[in-house]
Amino acid sequence: MDTVALYMQYIVNGLTLGAIYSLIALGYTMVYGILKFINFAHGDILMVGAFIGLLVYTALTGEAADPGAWTIIAFFIAMLVSMVACALLGMLIERVAYKPLRNANRLAPLLSAIGVSFILSNGAAWIFGTQSRRFPYPFANDPIRIGAIAITPHQIVVVLVSVLMMVLLTFFVNKTRMGKAMRAASLDQATSMLMGINVNRVISLTFAIGSALAAVGGILASFDFRVYPSMGTMTGLKAFVAAVIGGIGNIQGAMLGGVLLGILEAVGAPLLHIPNSMRDTVAFAVLIIVLLVKPDGILGKNEREKV
Amino acid sequence: MLNFFQLILIYAGIYALMAIGQNCITGYTGMLSLCHAGFLCIGSYVTAIMCKTFGFSFWLSLPVAAIVAGLVGLLIGIPTLRLKGDYLCIATLGLGEIIRNVATNLNPVGYNSIPRATLFGYQFASRNKFAFILLIWFFVLVFYVLFQQLAHSRLGRAMVAVREDEVAAQSNGINVTKYKISSFVLGAAVGGIAGCFQTAYTLTVQPASFTFMVSVMVLCTVVLGGMGNAKAVILGAFIIQFISYFPQLTGLTNIIPAQAKQIIYGLLLVIMMLCRPQGILGRDRYRYGDPRTRKEKLHDFFVRPKRSVKGGKA
Amino acid sequence: MRKAIAIILAAFVCIAAVAAGGASEDSNTYKIGFIGPLTGDNANYGIRCSNAAKLAISEINAAGGIDGKQLELIAEDSEGTVDKALASYEKLAYSDNVCAIVGPVFTSPALAVAQRCQEDGIVMISPSATHKDVTAQPASNPEGLNYVFRTVPSDALQSDVAAHYFYEVMGYRNLASLYAMNDYSQGLALGMKDTFEKLGGKVVAEETCMVGDKDFRTQLTQIRSANPEAIYIPNYTVEDAQILEQAAQLGITVPFLSSDGFSDPEIYNLAPDYTDGVIYVGPAQAEASTILSDFQAAYGAMYNGDAPDSFATNSYDATYIIAGALDRAGSADRQLIRDEVAATKDFQGANGTLNFAENGDLVASQGVYHVDGITPSYVGSFQIVDGHIVQVD
Repeated sequence: MDTVALYMQYIVNGLTLGAIYSLIALGYTMVYGILKFINFAHGDILMVGAFIGLLVYTALTGEAADPGAWTIIAFFIAMLVSMVACALLGMLIERVAYKPLRNANRLAPLLSAIGVSFILSNGAAWIFGTQSRRFPYPFANDPIRIGAIAITPHQIVVVLVSVLMMVLLTFFVNKTRMGKAMRAASLDQATSMLMGINVNRVISLTFAIGSALAAVGGILASFDFRVYPSMGTMTGLKAFVAAVIGGIGNIQGAMLGGVLLGILEAVGAPLLHIPNSMRDTVAFAVLIIVLLVKPDGILGKNEREKV
Repeated sequence: MLNFFQLILIYAGIYALMAIGQNCITGYTGMLSLCHAGFLCIGSYVTAIMCKTFGFSFWLSLPVAAIVAGLVGLLIGIPTLRLKGDYLCIATLGLGEIIRNVATNLNPVGYNSIPRATLFGYQFASRNKFAFILLIWFFVLVFYVLFQQLAHSRLGRAMVAVREDEVAAQSNGINVTKYKISSFVLGAAVGGIAGCFQTAYTLTVQPASFTFMVSVMVLCTVVLGGMGNAKAVILGAFIIQFISYFPQLTGLTNIIPAQAKQIIYGLLLVIMMLCRPQGILGRDRYRYGDPRTRKEKLHDFFVRPKRSVKGGKA
Repeated sequence: MRKAIAIILAAFVCIAAVAAGGASEDSNTYKIGFIGPLTGDNANYGIRCSNAAKLAISEINAAGGIDGKQLELIAEDSEGTVDKALASYEKLAYSDNVCAIVGPVFTSPALAVAQRCQEDGIVMISPSATHKDVTAQPASNPEGLNYVFRTVPSDALQSDVAAHYFYEVMGYRNLASLYAMNDYSQGLALGMKDTFEKLGGKVVAEETCMVGDKDFRTQLTQIRSANPEAIYIPNYTVEDAQILEQAAQLGITVPFLSSDGFSDPEIYNLAPDYTDGVIYVGPAQAEASTILSDFQAAYGAMYNGDAPDSFATNSYDATYIIAGALDRAGSADRQLIRDEVAATKDFQGANGTLNFAENGDLVASQGVYHVDGITPSYVGSFQIVDGHIVQVD
């Protein structure tokens, strides 16, 4: 197998991973854009989304259903239910744990978020058990071979659904009234309030959308990641890194950052001829270098400080 | 029971040391850093390698750990400190993960059977916790006093000025980069020392102990106690450790499942933050020259005067 | 401030009240401790082991206990880290005064706790800490007795059998390995490589990953280009399941070889379509006895159809060994219990016949399994005699 094909294969693999990171990173970025705070519980919402999706899917199709039209429909129903459930969960968490701290020290919600994260992941472990579960493929998953490169249908689905979600979100933020309100609130909350924008509602909606995207990310991730209570921790962290690299608060940036991180993880170690267990080192090192060159992330706005 | 409480005191002391370091970085200078686990890791490894591989004394490893961790802080600091806010946070987080990843790749088992620390022929055995408490809290006290002095010194005031307003500080002739890096190096060095004590107690070093969660918990300790307030972060360290271990202390874990223990921990974190968003003790408000006498200070310390707490920015 | 102090004081009062209620010494029970990760990333292994130990205890209690006394298992969480494991040890050893400890489940916590057990003279039997150093801790108690045992084979024992089996029985000459950077997987992979290359074979590709990684396609793509005859994957279940599936997706058709981590039946839920043809080395089974099948049935009945892995089986055996020692010792005296555990001879457990070496290591033959579809079939148990593999039954 020649080197070009080898690297093409890495890039295909990295792209799948990156698409998932991007979806999750969107949630981080949206919340950050408005509240300027890192929602550490986001990764755990992803896990809850994956669990709900799995439960609904198996309830609809039974234990071992053969892939067919019904399983695909069931899959999308499961995704929808999980999105709604996670949106509600996100709003609830915001209302209970973050809203009272909106005017407090900027780091106070961080601690609260850690607490929520503990509650969610351990609550899931308590209810669902700690073993990993497989999310069955709702469609036939025989790899498609293009030359020496193997691509599985699920990889294609992951990328397609991610792109679809991102297009929808971009449309929503840029073209709708609510999206405009969201952008206004992220620029200046006080002024937006004076302009008659219900900022509380905007923030609730932001959490709802971010959490719904996390649910999609969770379900797509569970093909490769399996579903288990701590699945969100590391994935969430990586997605957060992706969001920052792209320029936190920037939607396109989150997508770019996610894809970049995914590809870096897949390609970095073999490119440098170091053990694959060092892939995190490579990924993080590159990210730091990117930040040093572009201190506000790749697509971040260069905010000038006022005196 | 008493024995377990002693253990909590030991762990709280180690966390207090880390929190003092983190407080120097985040509380005084206002930089959001998330790699204290990395500094702790470096300190632990320095002690482990010096005592186990080369047979040096534990006491020699203390300054070496501080210097090595400080140097790493410096190396990290020079390039990354031009980053601001969350970008700095993510860069330091990445560095913490790199340190752990490299440590895991060097040897996933880490070190074990590390020789004990001795002092004048007395061996600090892990079962004699009282000696450990004295040892660790002595150092906590030393660093508390040192950093309290620092806060009142020229260096400390410059750091606070950088936190409050970088541009204004700069226009007043403060070399922002210099003070940022000094605070980073100092914080890292104390983190390294905390690692020495952790190793001296556990006598086993394992890369998996230095996850990003540790960094987050240290930051939480500082936020929970009250940022920029050295007394508060020590109290914060105790409280964090106490609520993390009280189910075991009281034997509650015999009755409830392990997950419930963690859920209680999470709930307590949320509740405490909702009740005291500015931290248990809040910011140290007597930093800028305190005209009160000692008696007044003591009085004010126990009887809280009415005041409005202003939430600062990180 | 006053509020804070008041809250803390209130907390202490509550604790004191609870402690006063809970501290009453019950002389009608023998307490046995368990340390393992019950929460966190590796909770699955810890919970299975503690469940198995609980099952053993409840069986013994149902049969009348030991000398009329009931056994009580106190399971404490280690979260897989050294400091939490030591805290759990403190609680078990000093607050609960247990007479012996089953666990800790992972190597590094086991190393830390082993040192304390040696020092304080408390028997510890680890069901899954495979690193060589676990039983190499010096006996630092005044009597110089060894208190650390394990019911899991050391890396060296298992990887030796694996290498010999792959080379001599399967006839492989070129192997690849893909292992996680943790003590268990690395220990096995390096041990296997060592023996395999001494025998004359070659490990043509050695790829590594981290525990918790999800994407192994990069490594597998590299292995694919090295063309090995088989791939050794001595990892935990979740990683193995992913590796098998992603290998199939990349079109890798060579057989996979694995270790006792593969004995977890969960693998057949996670990757049911990809397990066919896997060969793994695991604990031996006593053909004639029904202890293992009885244990598996009882475990499934008690825990909603969950199935035990080999570490849980080890934990079950460890608990029975302690119970047997308690029975013979006739008291909760820790040193007497140690003497009896050390004197355990030809213990008939779920994993066949177990003996302890002088240093507390397990002496047992290793079983080899071939997976057919989703059912492992037992080939037989093997030992290395004079540098060659010998089937013992």
